[in-house]
Amino acid sequence: MGALGHLASGPGFWPTASMTEFSAHHLVDLFRLFALRLAEARIDLGALDGAIGDADHGNSMAEGFAAVVRATLAAPQDLPGPLMAVAARSFLSAVGATTGPLYASALQAGSRRLGERASFGPEDVAALVGAFADGIAHRGNARPGDKTMMDVWFPAARAVAEAARSGASPLEQLRQAERAAAEGREATRAMIAAVGRAARLGPRSLGHVDPGAASAAILISALREWLEAQVGDPPMGRIG
Amino acid sequence: MPLRPGNRAAEGGDDLIPLRFGDDPLLWASWLYYEEGMTQGDIAEQMGVSRPSVNAYLADARARGIVSIEIAPDRFRSLSIAKALRDHFNLQDCLVIPTEGGERSLIARLGDAGARVLSRFMRSGDTLAVTWGRTVLSIADQIQPPILQDVRVVQATGGTTAKIPWTPEACASRLAKALNARAIPISAPAIVSSPEVRALLMQEAVLSEQLGMLAEADRIVMGISSLRPESTIHSSGFLEGGMQHAHYQDAVGSIVGRFISARGEPVIGPMHDRTIGLDLDQLRRVPQRIAVAGGMDKVAAILAALRGGYVNVLVTDIATGRGILTAEGYRDTPRRPPSEPDRPPRARTHVKKLINAPQDAVDETLKGALLAHEHLIAPVAGSSRVVRALDAPRQGKVAIVVGGGAGHEPAFWGYVGPGLADAAVVGNIFASPPPDPIIAATRAVNGQAGVIYIYGNFSGDVMNFDMAAEVMAAEGVEVRSVITTDDIASSPRETRSARRGVAGNIFTFKIAGAAAARMMSLDACEALARHANARTYTMGLALEPGSLPETRQPSFDLGPEDMEIGVGVHGEPGVERRGLASADACADLLLERILEEMHAAEGDEVALLINSLGSIPTMEMYIVLRRVRQRLKARGLRVHSSLVGPYYTSLDMAGLSLSVLHLDKELKELLEVPCRSAALTIG
Repeated sequence: MGALGHLASGPGFWPTASMTEFSAHHLVDLFRLFALRLAEARIDLGALDGAIGDADHGNSMAEGFAAVVRATLAAPQDLPGPLMAVAARSFLSAVGATTGPLYASALQAGSRRLGERASFGPEDVAALVGAFADGIAHRGNARPGDKTMMDVWFPAARAVAEAARSGASPLEQLRQAERAAAEGREATRAMIAAVGRAARLGPRSLGHVDPGAASAAILISALREWLEAQVGDPPMGRIG
Repeated sequence: MPLRPGNRAAEGGDDLIPLRFGDDPLLWASWLYYEEGMTQGDIAEQMGVSRPSVNAYLADARARGIVSIEIAPDRFRSLSIAKALRDHFNLQDCLVIPTEGGERSLIARLGDAGARVLSRFMRSGDTLAVTWGRTVLSIADQIQPPILQDVRVVQATGGTTAKIPWTPEACASRLAKALNARAIPISAPAIVSSPEVRALLMQEAVLSEQLGMLAEADRIVMGISSLRPESTIHSSGFLEGGMQHAHYQDAVGSIVGRFISARGEPVIGPMHDRTIGLDLDQLRRVPQRIAVAGGMDKVAAILAALRGGYVNVLVTDIATGRGILTAEGYRDTPRRPPSEPDRPPRARTHVKKLINAPQDAVDETLKGALLAHEHLIAPVAGSSRVVRALDAPRQGKVAIVVGGGAGHEPAFWGYVGPGLADAAVVGNIFASPPPDPIIAATRAVNGQAGVIYIYGNFSGDVMNFDMAAEVMAAEGVEVRSVITTDDIASSPRETRSARRGVAGNIFTFKIAGAAAARMMSLDACEALARHANARTYTMGLALEPGSLPETRQPSFDLGPEDMEIGVGVHGEPGVERRGLASADACADLLLERILEEMHAAEGDEVALLINSLGSIPTMEMYIVLRRVRQRLKARGLRVHSSLVGPYYTSLDMAGLSLSVLHLDKELKELLEVPCRSAALTIG
């Protein structure tokens, strides 16, 4: 609470365009970071899920992105956009469940964002948050407050959009997204699950962080971490 | 202890302590005091001792536990939750009422409690601001205030649509009347059409005078509104669709017509400059801010209001109060320190499993099943998670494809064979298969007469089977989906379509398989499968949770004396937790819930399934079956057949489920059609 005072980095401070360009190879590297961070959180996510679901969320996410790394490494594909479509298909095949179609749809939307271009820039990395959110919303039917991953993806996407409008750098946009994601994740504690498996628990889902919201926040943090490592932006005015 | 005989001994003039007290003066004194309601003086006379001795006996009796004074548990919880809320959110005061109670609605009872709180705080000369809503109106209708003078009641916002009875005007004027106070309206709408209109109105002397009085409020009484779709705020006309705006997606609640985020911060959107009334900064400056609100859908909104400091006196109910605290990470503490000695630290942290690498468990299981039942089932090339019947596809026969997550063995491959399913698809443990293997299964068994997918109602299964069905439809294959919903514990009767599909699936597989084996049409097979599902009722309970191969941890915590009612088949917790009961009591519990919904007439016939959830001793299933049969007989229902065993498991969960198929002539006939599979063979 009360962290708003730290958000003072004004518009125009960060360069809005960057010379840095990323290739398909970089995309695989990003997926590798997703897989790594999810693997680290496997047990914690499983414990969150165990409280209100079947405890498999940590494994699904970690295995899913591990499969994405394997598939994108093996794919004879030099264009980042089409490579992201390969990621979508491999995630779906590896995971199934609800998470599979939702993140497959997210990655498909990411693929459309990258299009057929030979490379992508830092602004595309930040824009992936909004693309993923749109993709998930397209396939799922959760609304804000339903205690799902959307309670992280929606506010994070809005944070990116707002930061972009005020002229923040892509990295700063992702920092704002990361902060919004962490808040969204915590806010799911006070929510009663309305869709998905936990919905059958009714009020018993109160007090628990939604595992899908938690893994969404991990992915958003990983996006920020990856871009920070790439553009080497000093963590000035870094949020929390 | 010497006892002088009393003058008026209780029993027939006997000199001694009446026999039933077993020579125990403490017990006798306690009895006379607490049960007979005698005074200490009278007891002293009767017992022939001094009054201070009686006093000492009574104190001793409490100290030794002969007498225990109990606060009614509900009242006790009210107090402890109220105290925790007050401490945690630094409130002036908090009142928590029972969630259930009597015939009055929660709103009426909250209104009553709010009215009592308000009359206690109100003073002569006060200016009281008041918001709008059903709870606030209920306060106005029930308040019985002390005699007060020079009180003003001011509307906290402008007016709303007159379509609702609890408008700001109605709330303020009714409360003013009850308090014998002067009502100060806000002579403008709460939401005006544009910021310019608002700016113009604010220049009006009348309005600015009214708002000036509002700013002088000593206290405010207000409701808190949730923004969940089920909230009445959407039908109250207050929002006029403005809420749909993206600016308000962060809002979780509304208070004085303003919007707040989960952290309690103002959510400023386009309606902000069109709203006339107290704003949130002004609200925080009102010295006493009484909020009256309850209901589980409001937990997030009330929590946000508390976090934002907009409330310093809260009136709510137990369930909501506990919900708020739970969301803040608070846990109910036991009333006394537990009396049991500390148990040694748990020697083991992992459940033992007979597996190789956890990630290979599903594939290795399927390979084993294919070998064990090679005379019935075969793999499908290119898809390690698909099993088909050896005799599939049969041209002209409707194909039945079943499936779901792994971990339910012998489901789903155990129901593939003649007279049952043509193919089964499994996903990872407790996770729906993705579309690809479902598509592969469909292609492998399609007999050009249509395909029916039968699977339990879980969002993942629905998504993936639907995606597969779309692909098959594009290939010109007609696919119908029958989504099973037999688990009556998972959702109320009115929302049957939201229920899970669990062990009763077996009956739906059987009926659909028999219909297809009789070469019925796609429409007929689909209708019969739906009919079977509609007449199948399942309810389960668990004594111990299961554990996933990957985590080897129990999937939920269950106390040493507890059982979980209404468990699903994925290790997810059930709908209710209770103290462990006997087999007969459990059988009664499951059966009674089922019979309540089933509406069977005397003489009707049923088929039963007592299903192991993975690791309950077979003995215990038969003990339960025996009781179920006794009860059905007493009810005048006939049992066509009883299946007992592990038909649809949940890994190693210790527990069972009872499924009842309410037969009619058609279902009975199809149930008797021969079938042959790894898990179910009839005829």
